[in-house]
Amino acid sequence: MSKLLSSLTIELRRGTLTLAVLSQLRTPQYGYSLVQLLEKSNVAIDQSTLYPLLRRLEKQELVVSSWDTSESRPRKYYVLSEYGIEIFEKLKEEWEQTTRELYTLLKGEEENASN
Amino acid sequence: MHLIDVYIQEVTRRLPEKNRQDIALELRSTIEDMLPENYTEVEVKEALGKMGSPVSLASGYLDRPMHLIGPRYFDVYVTLLKMIVPIAATIAFIILIAENMFSYNGEEALINIILTIVGKGIWEILSISIHTFFWITLVFAIIERTDTSKEKLPLTTSLKEWTPDDLNNIPYILKGKEISKSSIFGSLLGIAIFTAIYFNAVQLIGVYEKIQGKLQFVTPTFNQEVLHAYWLIVLIAIGVEVALVCYKFVIGQWTRKVAIMNTLRHVVSSTVFILIFSNTNLINPDFISYLERLFNTSIEIKSSIILGVIFLWIVSVVIDVIQGFRKANISK
Repeated sequence: MSKLLSSLTIELRRGTLTLAVLSQLRTPQYGYSLVQLLEKSNVAIDQSTLYPLLRRLEKQELVVSSWDTSESRPRKYYVLSEYGIEIFEKLKEEWEQTTRELYTLLKGEEENASN
Repeated sequence: MHLIDVYIQEVTRRLPEKNRQDIALELRSTIEDMLPENYTEVEVKEALGKMGSPVSLASGYLDRPMHLIGPRYFDVYVTLLKMIVPIAATIAFIILIAENMFSYNGEEALINIILTIVGKGIWEILSISIHTFFWITLVFAIIERTDTSKEKLPLTTSLKEWTPDDLNNIPYILKGKEISKSSIFGSLLGIAIFTAIYFNAVQLIGVYEKIQGKLQFVTPTFNQEVLHAYWLIVLIAIGVEVALVCYKFVIGQWTRKVAIMNTLRHVVSSTVFILIFSNTNLINPDFISYLERLFNTSIEIKSSIILGVIFLWIVSVVIDVIQGFRKANISK
């Protein structure tokens, strides 16, 4: 039961991960700072998914990366590209619409159940 | 420090050469970000635990699939396997029978030949099945890896995506009308065995006697010359049989047309059978005198016996023809 629930939850959240990551990349972030940002907003993220995801987003030209070697430790920074901003805005609208629709749907179901 | 090195190595050795350095550098800086200034081994382990298994991390970086054949090709793959493996196995078995029969020199007993064929046959069928399975799988695994389109939809056997029009090409098969694959392969096998026996009847069918502890062939049942005089029409009948089997395989179910074709092939093969069997010289005189000695009576090949055999043959043919039409007429 709980195993099924957790696998369903993971599935439900999988699609939102890209959106969550894109939303934090208007300012340049490196891997671990991104993890901390997401964790601060209670977005649980599997690190073995996050780092490959960043690379994929770069390949899809949604983000651009650069190495910063000025500090003691070299860090790779990621930031949204112009194309990335455009896609992010559209994806955000898409998400908002989906949640509205789903909210109405679930609200209706609740009323049905109470009747 | 050491553990981190090993972890990074475990990830990067699974990645293409050109990405390794960059990813290694990024991973190292990320892992060190997670650790305090003077970290202990316990803390390293904790951090690496959060990073997760190197295998899944590496597979995240790879575009290559982590499966041999994915959902896009799996259905086509299985369909082809089911079609090709039995065909290949049957053909291999038929070839084996033919080889053994035609290279038969008349010295061995029939039972030994059959045992050899069964033994070799099982081996041959197994090895051919494994071979075809391997090659088909290999081809699909390569296609899976070279397919650059990002489409995920499964493909149909025509290697295109499904449209409702595809349904027009698929016959709707009612229960009881289908022609099973096993009956097709059975018929082919039967034809092969018959062909092999016909051309070797003189060495195969007849009286076997135990002489000096060995089973030996004494007298053939049939008269070689008479039997072989009919070779041309026998070949024609075999050709017709094979053609019908192929036709049934393609259509896959009993239709009126299949039933009519089935009747036609019975007419051809029955004509040939009756022609051969009504020849009174067909049975070897030596064989008859052998039987006479055995049972101490005189036996004459009476026309009534021949008529009886022919009658039985015709009855079985009529039953099969009627069955064909009955199946063809099933409509609900």
